[in-house]
Amino acid sequence: MKAGYVPGVPLQGLLDAQADIWRQASSQVIELMGAPSGLQPTSAVRAQFPDGAIGAVKQVSVAVLHNGGELAFRLAWRDATADTGADGQDDVGFPDAAAVLFATRSNAPLMTMGAPGLPVSAWYWRADENGRGRQVTAEGLGTTQTVHGDQVHARGVYADGGWAVVIARSLRAQSAGAVAQLEMGAAASFSVAVWEGSHGERAGVKSFALGPLGGWHELVVDRKA
Amino acid sequence: MSKRQLAMVMDLNKCLGCHTCTVACKQLWTRDEGMEYMWWNTVNTMPGRGAPRDWEQMGGGFTPDGQARPGRLPKRAEFGEAWKFDHEGSYYGGQGDDSHLKIKDGSPDWGPNWDEDEGAGEYPNSFHFYLPRICNHCTHPACVEACPRGAVEKREEDGIVTVNEDRCRGYRFCQSACPYKKMYFNHQKKVAQKCIFCFPRIEQGVAPACARQCPGRVRFVGYRDDEAAPIYKLVDKWQVALPLHPEYGTEPNVFYVPPVLPASYGPDGDIDESKPRIPDEYLVSLFGPKVLDALATIKAEREKKRATGESELMDLLIAYEWKNMFGGFDRSPETVSVIRWRK
Repeated sequence: MKAGYVPGVPLQGLLDAQADIWRQASSQVIELMGAPSGLQPTSAVRAQFPDGAIGAVKQVSVAVLHNGGELAFRLAWRDATADTGADGQDDVGFPDAAAVLFATRSNAPLMTMGAPGLPVSAWYWRADENGRGRQVTAEGLGTTQTVHGDQVHARGVYADGGWAVVIARSLRAQSAGAVAQLEMGAAASFSVAVWEGSHGERAGVKSFALGPLGGWHELVVDRKA
Repeated sequence: MSKRQLAMVMDLNKCLGCHTCTVACKQLWTRDEGMEYMWWNTVNTMPGRGAPRDWEQMGGGFTPDGQARPGRLPKRAEFGEAWKFDHEGSYYGGQGDDSHLKIKDGSPDWGPNWDEDEGAGEYPNSFHFYLPRICNHCTHPACVEACPRGAVEKREEDGIVTVNEDRCRGYRFCQSACPYKKMYFNHQKKVAQKCIFCFPRIEQGVAPACARQCPGRVRFVGYRDDEAAPIYKLVDKWQVALPLHPEYGTEPNVFYVPPVLPASYGPDGDIDESKPRIPDEYLVSLFGPKVLDALATIKAEREKKRATGESELMDLLIAYEWKNMFGGFDRSPETVSVIRWRK
């Protein structure tokens, strides 16, 4: 899919999931599947989440815009419960969350969150930390590391029985870590994931998008407005 | 597998339920924000529902064939929330004697020692005993095996189980997996936290605070394989110290000398030595079938001590000299500086 170019729209404008620019942006519904139980790294996780028990959210509507400096994903999905971890909520609950994953080396495997020497990097939002984002890199299951987390901005709005979340970062980022580096006119491999807090989804227990390109979806960053 | 394993033995015949261990631990380790509800050491009356409430029904650990057994997360209210008191209103609210210091935000219905001294049985054969609990620093720790990030670690040098808070992402699989429910979640820091067997003290030759402070000389400390020290003698040589719920499959390194209470009264009011006051089946349900041999050994050695004045086992359990209880970890805490978390 394409990241539409909207020159002059500031980052704060992109981060408003209900702004007009997003109504005008073309979006694509991407089907999600539950991460396989067999790929969960420990037997305790596999026992608690057998096949069929993972992946509460089945699809997500994705739109992508950039202003020449920053690029933003808008992810929207139906969710009957806003699990924000707020006071008064069940203290054994988990927050809703979403992320965009990039292959930061070509051939980095999606299903295993990268591999040694083949890193992937994610931009992450979670409902109990709404308003800020996290950036992580990984080279295999269970290896995520936060890297310059404050480079990612993320803000979600819960309305009308669903979340609309914008996750943004500058196209290029100063980091020694294997984070995503995007540029206008170029393509990148990405995937998205959603965690349904009310189903206890966290860690590798999530819904994710399996695309046509070795598991990845393609994003082309438009050069022209 | 760790190279060596530290262990603890608690003699339930000597625990008087004073909670000095609990307070020693609280003062040292769990005073920080987000830790208000945490009591890494608890003492509960048995039979009882324990802390967290009904923890024995929460699952976790392993099935007999070694598979992870699903468990559930305990809620803070099941441990017992830290109570907040209306100090402001009581002292400065202008209510005078009409006001008293009471708990704010509703009435709690559970806490870490809620069913104290209730016990079980009918008078005159009612019974209870105290069960102190810490993390068992298991040889086959369900928490370590559950974490998808390897954030729970078992130390190579002494088998102490700790959480690496830098790696922990707050997924709480460890908390579901621990069948003893001795993993806690810090809702402020969003990381798991637990008993650390006072490793900063251990590293300087000082016994854990719960053991060192115990006025009843209940707790023995030392390496599992130190044949000259009490742990080995009680667990392996005399076989009178047993793990709690061995069927959970985690191989705890905290062991208990089971309680021997006076015998029951018969219907005529005479003591009936054939009927133990604590039903054998209850102790078997806690410590497994080996508890019956342990009880027999303790009773026989008590008798021997009574008759002859001689019993290595009784002398060990009496602990005439406290330093002999700690397997060399007998340095005074006053002589070392121990890391303490501060606000």
